[in-house]
Amino acid sequence: MKQYDTLVIGGGPAGLAAAIGAKKENGEVLLLEREQRLGGILKQCIHDGFGLIQFKERLSGPEYVERFIQEFLSLNIDYETLAFVIKIDKKEGFYHVSYVSKKGVCEVTVRSLIIATGCRERTAKQIQIHGTRPSGVFTAGCAQHFVNLLGEKIGNKCVILGSGDIGLIMARRLTLEGMKVLGVYEAKATPSGLTRNLVQCLEDYQIPLYLSHTVTRVFGEERLNAVEIMQVDEKMRPIEGTQEIVECDTLILSVGLIPENEITESLGIALDLKTKGPYVDDYFMSSLENVYICGNALHVNDLVDYVSESGLIAGKNSMRQHVSTQSVSIDLSDDFLYLVPQRVSVHDVQESMFYFRAKKEMKAADLLVKVNGKEIMKRRYKNLKPPEMEKIKVKWEMGKISENDHIEIELKEDLCVK
Amino acid sequence: MREMTCIVCPNGCHLTVNETNDEILVKGNLCPRGKDFAIQEIHHPMRTITSTVKTVYKEVPTIPIKVSKEFPKERIFDVMNQINHIQVDYVAQQGDVLMENVLGLGINIVVTSNILKETIHE
Amino acid sequence: MEKKIADLQKKLDQKYPGCIQVELDQSRIVLTGVMNSWEDIIDACKMCVQKDKNIHVVNHIELKGVKKPQMRISSIQDTKYDGRHCDVLIIGGGISGASIARELSRYKLDILLVEKESDLAMQASGRNDGEIHPGVDLNKGSLKQKYVVKSNRSFDQLCQELDVPFKRVGQIVGFKDKKLYPIIWAYAMQRKYICGVDDTCLISRKKIKELEPNLSDDIQFGLYNPMAGSVSPYGLTIAYGENAIQNGVEIALNTAVLSMEVNNHKIIRVTTNRGMIYPDIVINAAGVFADDIAKMADDEFFSIHPRKGTDSILDLKAGKMISSIVSTKTLKKDNSHSKGGGIVHTVHDNLLIGPDAIETYEKENFATERKSIDQVFSKHQKTSNIRQSDIITYFTGVRAATFEEDFVIEKGRNTKNIVHCAGIQSPGLTTAPAVSKDVVKMTIDLLSEHKTVEKNELFNPIRKGIPDLKHMDLKKRNELIQKNPDYGIIICRCEEISKGEILDALNSVLEVTTIDGVKKRVRPGMGRCQGGFCMPLVAKIISEYKNIPLSEVRKSGADSIISYGKTKENTDETI
Repeated sequence: MKQYDTLVIGGGPAGLAAAIGAKKENGEVLLLEREQRLGGILKQCIHDGFGLIQFKERLSGPEYVERFIQEFLSLNIDYETLAFVIKIDKKEGFYHVSYVSKKGVCEVTVRSLIIATGCRERTAKQIQIHGTRPSGVFTAGCAQHFVNLLGEKIGNKCVILGSGDIGLIMARRLTLEGMKVLGVYEAKATPSGLTRNLVQCLEDYQIPLYLSHTVTRVFGEERLNAVEIMQVDEKMRPIEGTQEIVECDTLILSVGLIPENEITESLGIALDLKTKGPYVDDYFMSSLENVYICGNALHVNDLVDYVSESGLIAGKNSMRQHVSTQSVSIDLSDDFLYLVPQRVSVHDVQESMFYFRAKKEMKAADLLVKVNGKEIMKRRYKNLKPPEMEKIKVKWEMGKISENDHIEIELKEDLCVK
Repeated sequence: MREMTCIVCPNGCHLTVNETNDEILVKGNLCPRGKDFAIQEIHHPMRTITSTVKTVYKEVPTIPIKVSKEFPKERIFDVMNQINHIQVDYVAQQGDVLMENVLGLGINIVVTSNILKETIHE
Repeated sequence: MEKKIADLQKKLDQKYPGCIQVELDQSRIVLTGVMNSWEDIIDACKMCVQKDKNIHVVNHIELKGVKKPQMRISSIQDTKYDGRHCDVLIIGGGISGASIARELSRYKLDILLVEKESDLAMQASGRNDGEIHPGVDLNKGSLKQKYVVKSNRSFDQLCQELDVPFKRVGQIVGFKDKKLYPIIWAYAMQRKYICGVDDTCLISRKKIKELEPNLSDDIQFGLYNPMAGSVSPYGLTIAYGENAIQNGVEIALNTAVLSMEVNNHKIIRVTTNRGMIYPDIVINAAGVFADDIAKMADDEFFSIHPRKGTDSILDLKAGKMISSIVSTKTLKKDNSHSKGGGIVHTVHDNLLIGPDAIETYEKENFATERKSIDQVFSKHQKTSNIRQSDIITYFTGVRAATFEEDFVIEKGRNTKNIVHCAGIQSPGLTTAPAVSKDVVKMTIDLLSEHKTVEKNELFNPIRKGIPDLKHMDLKKRNELIQKNPDYGIIICRCEEISKGEILDALNSVLEVTTIDGVKKRVRPGMGRCQGGFCMPLVAKIISEYKNIPLSEVRKSGADSIISYGKTKENTDETI
């Protein structure tokens, strides 16, 4: 059976960076990609705006990821495409991984696993859209596949539900490709996507945005012919009597992403209900020894630059010699939507990187880090918004984390700032 | 006074722009690009677009492209019309220019992926 | 009998004054009149149901101000089957029609099955929970009961012959009130020794906990039937259909019966959207439309009142919570819309929750409603801690109930060359093996009146299904991939379905080259992403297989377009 130090599952931006990271630590690395080509979802994200942090350039999705592919290929890292992991067993400190490819059922033994499987989209049924089951209802990613990769015109008159970045970007893409976008509907009272996308994807093309509205029902026996729109209250429950029928042949759903955690769950790794991804420590290691999670499989990022960054870190860490599964959890205040890593490993450490989202919009807020009740760090944030992820490097002045340390991270809104 | 969102980078700075006589005062920008954006946006909004072009290859029916730089916003659909008429019949690579100086706007149509090179082996 | 009718008229006049006229006409009770609500019509008809099951209630009451929807038919109009003669015409490609077709193909006959939809099992047979009932809820005296136990026992052999996955997962009905024990014991004994449900037993709370650790702690004891099973209802229907085709049956999809010419108590000619068909014998297995078919055949002696129900499917991970078919019961009379139903561990290891029961005059109203899901969950959450957040999809089916709530399996009463297999609702999937054999017997009787019917010596009961690579041992899986590398290319990541399996589905004897057709046969898109990732890939495989553009690939019916064409259609320049 072939042996490797590190197996990376997933050849998107996180997995490529992870493989590069591990290889640069002189690891023997194998990467498995389930699709035909490396690149993950960025293959179909043909819009630009990627790479401003990593490359200080404005790149399209394919341009961004192909830079990583080139570096990956130049390092001569082993990889297989159309390879799908079907089984992982832990034996004597190693992982025996079975996967299928055109060659058959293959097996490898590895010391470390990096799960970089990305995320998937919530579906119409998960948000309780009722009615018939016609064609013409697409998740945004599915629509993107048809339009951007296959060059297919999937509709004439489209309604988009969800104002996340993918929904906004699809509104522009469909418009440019000759489809009429009737409007973008958002159940929340505030838009979910980046403000710049509201400007350059909707305003530029005079596409209306309806906040506090949702799609509750679809009509049509064969192809979609209309949707029912309802206003929702502050708890996002539809308000009776506000029903409105909008005739359209296409409904695009951009109603949230969920980390893909089939593999993590099958390994019995604990999941964080807030991120819907696994708990990890500041090495991006899960509760299972030598199993690392990065990119959108860990939590859904808004910028691919952070996805690559987490991959690189996880890749490097997968080559560590001494690994401890001991870690302390972090007490988080209620104003966080989430914070990752959720735990800090018990070890000598100078600093750790955290990513977080605020639960609601805040004009100003202070982030406080306390260890055993003592404040060790404070940072001021302006204009925190749930759609926009923030990053913070915490310097541990004591130089190590011990198992009895009590770490608290608080987000305090400053209500005086308007 | 005008308010706008800078679209240069994901920060999306909220800008307030004051136009007085010959001077334009921009506030809220985190970097100098924000000021340039605001001035441009007031005088002549510029945008760039990405799309796909058709190929002759069945395995890769379309490839992604971008416009090399920004051009006047009101010409977006004219440029799209040009893009829609392109058909690639060779194994194009990232960076290849498929059409130069589109509509005299000084912009090129540029391939953004090596998908053909990766997939088509002639 | 005449006095009975007069009494009924009196009762109806009291409750619904001046609305309804009752008449006894041969062996049917016909109600006519005009009423304002469908519920009242149902109620009035139910009031007229007789103990003698041979007398059926026929509903001719008009629902005021409502035009009942027309039967949906395919937009295809051609003459493909025009002038086709056959010995037997089976109308309906659900579990009844498909099983009858297969059983009938044991004889040397020219058999044509017409189905108005684009695939088999598109209505009730594709929209139910797949339970193979133990029959413990049925008492002597009904046709349902007559067939259920015998049929249940035949499933192991049947599913082996047809290569259809089947598991005897067992059924537990839990009771929370200890005092009910003697009553339920007596009930169980009656079912066991009088009705022949010989697997029935009562089990203790401790035993229940052993079998199903995640059931409610309040359950004190349970009624247990280890012979209850789970099967894929559309999988079984398609398998029956494919085996029928292998044995010489022709299946015509997208073919709807529109009218019949009846002369001298005989059906002479059947008009469809694809031409006129001239059958010797007609078998009515038309589900919710069976009464319409009977009427066309001048043999209307029963009525169907459609009753819809919605089931939710939970994620595979929830499937690990419950391993059998479970529900809880009280003895309180339950007339709510969520009567019956339960939690079913499906043969594909999901959980299925439901269904509810709502009367409707629309025979094809498959729209789901949020309140159905909420109601069913609030009921079954008393049995186990199921969560709505695990729902991956839901669907609605419509039961073809008669007012007698029993099957109608008999030769025509007025028309001589028709056999009815009607009123088939739960446990119709379970009873299909035995019912189909009886229908075949009746059909052969009719045919034998004027010709000799020979056995089909070439009949082969074995149908080979598509290999299920995910559940194979790795060695065998490896061997198959070595032979056909397409089995190693995973297209559906949620259900782990390979390109090879999808191509096998497209290659089946009954060619259904739609997204939903492939989904029903090998399950891509059945998982948690519901096809978000794999649907474009499956569409592309179909377009390559058929050599058609993506704009000609369909989700299901002829007008269920996926794409309207290319985004860059009007290209005239080449670089």
